[in-house]
Amino acid sequence: MADEYPIFRFNAEREAIVEETVRRVIASTRDTLFALNDAAYHEARRLDGSRKPKDQAELEEWRRLARRLGRMSELERRDKLREIVEGYGWDVAGNFDPRVYRFSTSLVPSLVTGLLAPRKLATLVRDPRKLFGFDALAEKFLIDGEVDLARKLAARGTVVFVPTHSSNMDSIVFGHALDRADLPPATYGAGKNLFTNPVLAFFMRNLGAYRVDRRLRHKLYKDVLKAYSCVLIERGYHSLFFPGGTRSRSGGIERHLKLGLAGTGIEAYARTLLSGHERRVYFVPATINYLITLEAETLIRDYLSEAGKARYIIEDDESSRPGRMARFVSKLLGHSGAVHIRFGAALDPYGNGVDEHGVSHDHRGRPVDPASYLRDLDGSISLNPSREMQYTRQLGEELAVAYRRNAVAMATHIVAAAAFGALRRAAGTDDLFAVLRMRDQITLSRDELAREVLGVKDRLLELEKHGEAAVSSEARRMSGGDLVEQAIQAFRGYHTSPVIQPREDGLALSDTNLLFYYQNRLAVHGVGWDPTAHGEPRPRPAAA
Amino acid sequence: MTAIGVLGGGPWGVSLARAARHAGSEVTLCTRRDHPALPGVRVTPSMRVLAEARLLVVAVPSSSVRAVARELGDFLDGGHVLVHGIRGLSSAAGGGSVAGAAPTVTSADDIVTISQVLREETPVRRIGALGGPVQAAELNDGRPSAMVVGSEFPEVVAALKRAFAAEWLKIEGTSDLRGLEWASALVGCLSIGVGFAAHIGATPGLLAALASRGVDEAAGIARAAGADPQTLYGLGGYGDLLASIVLAERPEVVLGRALARGAPLEAAQAEAALRIEAVTLVPRILRFAELRRTEHAIFTALAEILNGSQAEATLRRLFD
Repeated sequence: MADEYPIFRFNAEREAIVEETVRRVIASTRDTLFALNDAAYHEARRLDGSRKPKDQAELEEWRRLARRLGRMSELERRDKLREIVEGYGWDVAGNFDPRVYRFSTSLVPSLVTGLLAPRKLATLVRDPRKLFGFDALAEKFLIDGEVDLARKLAARGTVVFVPTHSSNMDSIVFGHALDRADLPPATYGAGKNLFTNPVLAFFMRNLGAYRVDRRLRHKLYKDVLKAYSCVLIERGYHSLFFPGGTRSRSGGIERHLKLGLAGTGIEAYARTLLSGHERRVYFVPATINYLITLEAETLIRDYLSEAGKARYIIEDDESSRPGRMARFVSKLLGHSGAVHIRFGAALDPYGNGVDEHGVSHDHRGRPVDPASYLRDLDGSISLNPSREMQYTRQLGEELAVAYRRNAVAMATHIVAAAAFGALRRAAGTDDLFAVLRMRDQITLSRDELAREVLGVKDRLLELEKHGEAAVSSEARRMSGGDLVEQAIQAFRGYHTSPVIQPREDGLALSDTNLLFYYQNRLAVHGVGWDPTAHGEPRPRPAAA
Repeated sequence: MTAIGVLGGGPWGVSLARAARHAGSEVTLCTRRDHPALPGVRVTPSMRVLAEARLLVVAVPSSSVRAVARELGDFLDGGHVLVHGIRGLSSAAGGGSVAGAAPTVTSADDIVTISQVLREETPVRRIGALGGPVQAAELNDGRPSAMVVGSEFPEVVAALKRAFAAEWLKIEGTSDLRGLEWASALVGCLSIGVGFAAHIGATPGLLAALASRGVDEAAGIARAAGADPQTLYGLGGYGDLLASIVLAERPEVVLGRALARGAPLEAAQAEAALRIEAVTLVPRILRFAELRRTEHAIFTALAEILNGSQAEATLRRLFD
């Protein structure tokens, strides 16, 4: 069965995929002068000031091109365009190694081992089973939701997985979840910066991941990425995208989704229809929920500092520090249900729900043919990029709703929401930064906090009744005091400074930033404090 | 030639059908009530027949739009374009939350735009709205006026411009559908204030002050609802309100004038003859503005005017 997954064909089709990508990008580039100029301008800007010899050579090449462009004939420019686009196309294309895939059942424990001793990886590929047992992992990872539906749809058409994004662990964790749930592996566009970590790079490269260099900001490169992703989906490769783009800085569930490359799923469906070989595309939303987040400290600091708004990629965070990552993984493995992945109901490209037979239904449950969305007023079917852009935006809105409904509240989130609520009351203000400054100033008795925690939990359970939220089954069973205890245990030993500190006089609320981070997960439900509720977030530099 | 269907046989729906016919479109009007003679327009009680046209305009009161759209939805698919000409806002359906609702909408307020209702109740995704100062009477008489068509889909804006193209009708397009819908609703409310103020003897200067302050307030409210506040300063907002100042027969203005005379609300509504969405809308928008903490002095005054309480004093206070 597994060998029939489309991705197993990848290496054989790789060349054809890149060629098709290149052909499309070149055909759709009308103004070669503009395209090359734009690329040269952005690349020169990016490389200017770099001291690396390789960058300097590249810079010189782009500058030379920029100088010559005006004098080049259209034919010469087309040649140059092809050369550049081909270079990008091959740079983006990934690889798929079935051996690496087969041992991905043990991905996470192997990762731990790999982090501790990267050289062991090669032997692991040969025979991973010797080194670890898998059963220990099962209870740490909970997978639920509309898994059956996704499985059935994957057999009918192309599935585009679109989970929430809060950690660099996400792609690995999600890849593992797909395998555990008997879902097909998915190709994935991983940030090139992830490839700098040799361990991550090893997995990424051999699991069908393609490389996305987010430093390249010009249109030509983006066109290559989009075309590549579109060709993959058209050809039936199940794909994985994080439609939020970057990891959630605040810790909150994504509410504004641009979709980015995930939007190519909409174009891909349209193209299959136009080519006469309709192949349905199904978007499967999912939430990835962690009891603790690997990069929480860096992310929330970035969110709170104004500088963070301009910084797009964090090159140096917890995920680039192997020791830290190992500590994180072992911490996760110490808690049952520490990672919870919930699959939401599948959607067609136009935001309609899809049943197990692949039939789309509108919000009132009427069957509707997805092909009809591509019809012009005169009844003809056509590609229309401005229309697809709007369908993409609308799909993003539907996904945001799916995220809200499927986000799983865990002990850390619930306890943080209760604690932050207490902080805010004590501060007596709606000024976020005034609340955040109250580090170590509030001490609550265990009972007091436990009561607050139960209050938060009850509100979530009420929302859950209406399908508007989800509470982890662990958290559901636990008393207020148990939840507090689990949260303290989870925070302790991973985060560098204590988050909630047991003292003689009670529990001190210490790391207000992290409490904010974890409570933000519930802000979308109106249960945690939502500082963005009244207009735009107004992060400003925290006072010293 | 554009084939267009109009749903709703009230004065506004009939006028839209006439205008589209005048513009050379092939028009079907779906109505179950009596209607004046409409040469060249196919009139049918059947939604199925109506849905043969792919471009449809809904012109029913906001209070019935959800039920009507749900019924109409049985005959539609993703190839239809659905537009409404309703100067109001609606309420969220009980229970479920709405995709595409203003991203920060919490359970505390339940205002949704008509286009959101159309999206919930039908399979259609290409949705738009009509707005701007144009009035039913102007469309009937072919008097020069201006209309705004709004949709996030450029093809919808283009189709509407084609369907209503006439020398005497200036049509502007906007991609800020949500902004246009809020603008139409908010200006409807402000127009009551204009009629009221004019009757109690507000000078042109004071009316101008009321209008500009009102639009500012409306822009703040629209922004909180997820619209582009700039839309409120365009033809669908400020332009529309400007027309109210000189359009003495506009229903909202008539209503405001009647209230200023001391007429009870029911009598004032009867005088305005047409159904006025703003009457039920004002208190809801006021509550929305309070929850979102946007400026709402004028909407507070409008609510008091509608309640008949201390209205004159309220309005005077605004000019202090």
